[in-house]
Amino acid sequence: MKKNNKYSITIGWLYPDLMNTYGDRGNIIVLSKRAEWRGIKVKVLPINIESSQWSIVNCQLLFMGGAQDTQQEIVNRDLLGAKGRTLVSMIEKGIPGLFICGAYQFLGKYYITAGGKKLNGLGVFPLFTENPGEGAKRLIGNVLAEAVGSNTNPQPPNPNRLLVGFENHGGRTYLSDKNQAFAKVIKGHGNNGEDQTEGIHYKNAIGSYLHGPILPKNPELTDLLLALAFEEKYGKKFHLEPLDDSMEQKAREAIIEKIK
Amino acid sequence: MNLLLILVGKFILFFSKTFNLGSGSTWPGHIALEINPNFIRQVLKKNPDLKIVLVAGTNGKTTTATLLRHILEKSKINVFQNEEGANLLNGIGSSIIKNSNVFGKLNFDTALFEVDENSLPLILDEFEPNILVLLNLFRDQLDRYGEVNTVADKWSKSLQKLKKTKLIVNGDHPELAWMAKESNLKSYYFSIPQNLMKSKFPEDDADFLYCPNCKTKLNFNKISFSSLGLFECPKCEFSNPESKVLNLSNPLTGDYNYYNVEAASVVASEIFGTPLVNIENAFKTFKPAFGRQEVFEKVGKKIMVILSKNPASLNRSFEAVLSVKKDNDSLLMVLNDRIPDGRDISWIWDTDFENFIPNFKNITVSGDRCYDLGLRIKYGMENQSAGRRTKIKIFENLKEAIGKAANETSTNETLFILPTYSAMLEVRKILSGRKIL
Repeated sequence: MKKNNKYSITIGWLYPDLMNTYGDRGNIIVLSKRAEWRGIKVKVLPINIESSQWSIVNCQLLFMGGAQDTQQEIVNRDLLGAKGRTLVSMIEKGIPGLFICGAYQFLGKYYITAGGKKLNGLGVFPLFTENPGEGAKRLIGNVLAEAVGSNTNPQPPNPNRLLVGFENHGGRTYLSDKNQAFAKVIKGHGNNGEDQTEGIHYKNAIGSYLHGPILPKNPELTDLLLALAFEEKYGKKFHLEPLDDSMEQKAREAIIEKIK
Repeated sequence: MNLLLILVGKFILFFSKTFNLGSGSTWPGHIALEINPNFIRQVLKKNPDLKIVLVAGTNGKTTTATLLRHILEKSKINVFQNEEGANLLNGIGSSIIKNSNVFGKLNFDTALFEVDENSLPLILDEFEPNILVLLNLFRDQLDRYGEVNTVADKWSKSLQKLKKTKLIVNGDHPELAWMAKESNLKSYYFSIPQNLMKSKFPEDDADFLYCPNCKTKLNFNKISFSSLGLFECPKCEFSNPESKVLNLSNPLTGDYNYYNVEAASVVASEIFGTPLVNIENAFKTFKPAFGRQEVFEKVGKKIMVILSKNPASLNRSFEAVLSVKKDNDSLLMVLNDRIPDGRDISWIWDTDFENFIPNFKNITVSGDRCYDLGLRIKYGMENQSAGRRTKIKIFENLKEAIGKAANETSTNETLFILPTYSAMLEVRKILSGRKIL
């Protein structure tokens, strides 16, 4: 494979030691490898409680995973400060990002806990989340969805629109505008188990409930995020060399077969 | 009533054994509890002299309970134990039915029950044990157990209700050490020799890095694995309690088993008064439990099966394999996603394949989710150059996978099999059959 050592990107990984449950770290591994296999250097910058808000500014791609409640509380406190404001302005500017589960919820306007407490989010994604209470069932299981175009992003992650993942959430998320959904649920629950929407596609950021983790079995989405990150850094369109994705496709087909 | 339930249960046990139905470890208890929810409580009340030991934790329950049972039996203490995997209330009920006489009398000194982490609170609602061993808590099967912090909260609340139980607690686990301290129960803490704590950094699956008291990030001086180690909170100064280290030999493979060895030995020495020399002697004749480093011999080839069911468990299996691996030993990994394994296989991405894979030229893969596991291995290869790249061989059919991997293993070499729980049961079935190889 040709080496393009002159190219490099920085991926900002928000709170790797706190927002790291459900194997979401796999997304970082897959993003890094798929760039490296094309000879593009990747720096993964961990952004922790101790990091300054300016560390985020140097990233061309942002990632934040899901967390447990205790850990999420610690992160919420930190993000309600300057770091959160920087994160919001980056997303508004069109920096590509992937925000899974707890991170996705927190970028919305607010979250109503099982106990009825209202927690403010960063409000960059036009959505809110509500946990219907302790008695309500968590939405758990394999998901099959189809990526759709949204009004801010008419182009869904092509060429393969089918997405697979595993969801596990108590909160139900409602989009202000259902046309901004990231995907349409074929099997599974998605945002709320009611309206067949899954996630949000806002500017170049994607919010989603899909663990699994999402990227290994959805390589087109991985490559889309990488391409956006290169464009962000170098200001021009990039053609990513195709990779041998036969095992990725096999893994996806196997789970689709199982879900159906 | 209970005597009738015991009789019926024994009949089912006899029946399922005679006809090899294989469900004898939970059904009798299940039926008894359906008919009389107080069955366990009442039978145990009739046996006030029976000493009850519970072993709880995410990993190492079966190994620790089996170690302890072996030590106690060598000291002529009469013990019965619930069957491996039958660690919910119905499994305990079945074990009681199996081991009591028809009058509901348990003619044993000690009952030893391993208990599922989610069931511990329910079990503690039923009866108060004499001894409760808290081995560890790690993230495991999030789709089934929920978040590990939630499990920890439930445990902590349950401990508050106990009055006389003595706790044997892993002093290197911040959350467990804290909940034991808060419980005000008599607690004995165990740890392992410090020279075995070889890392300074927690692993990627670590969930207890923040102070359980004040939520400040803990400082770790030394780490054995996951978030077990020597810790101190810079704010409230909460740190490891004073732990016992008996410094015995390890009859199993892998340094992590020292935790199980220490836990079992602390119970034996502190509670049962077993002299350390007797414990050491008992270890000499110890045989690993079902699927936990269990060794099979097939046509001159050695096959070691190491159950690997969550990130902490798989990371430790890697450690065990590397500590004994010879150059040409081979490896088979099996990933299933059935109910006992957890439907969510995300956890393989929380496990450190990166340092492990380069030790093998070939890795054979099978199981319900063999392609997912193949992917994890593919992405776990650290910049291996094309010539040295580990080959991944995927077989959907487990029997075929075992056959191929065993064929590749030369005589006097070892095939390591790392399966998830339901896969381990299948592997054992295939290995104990005569057809393959």
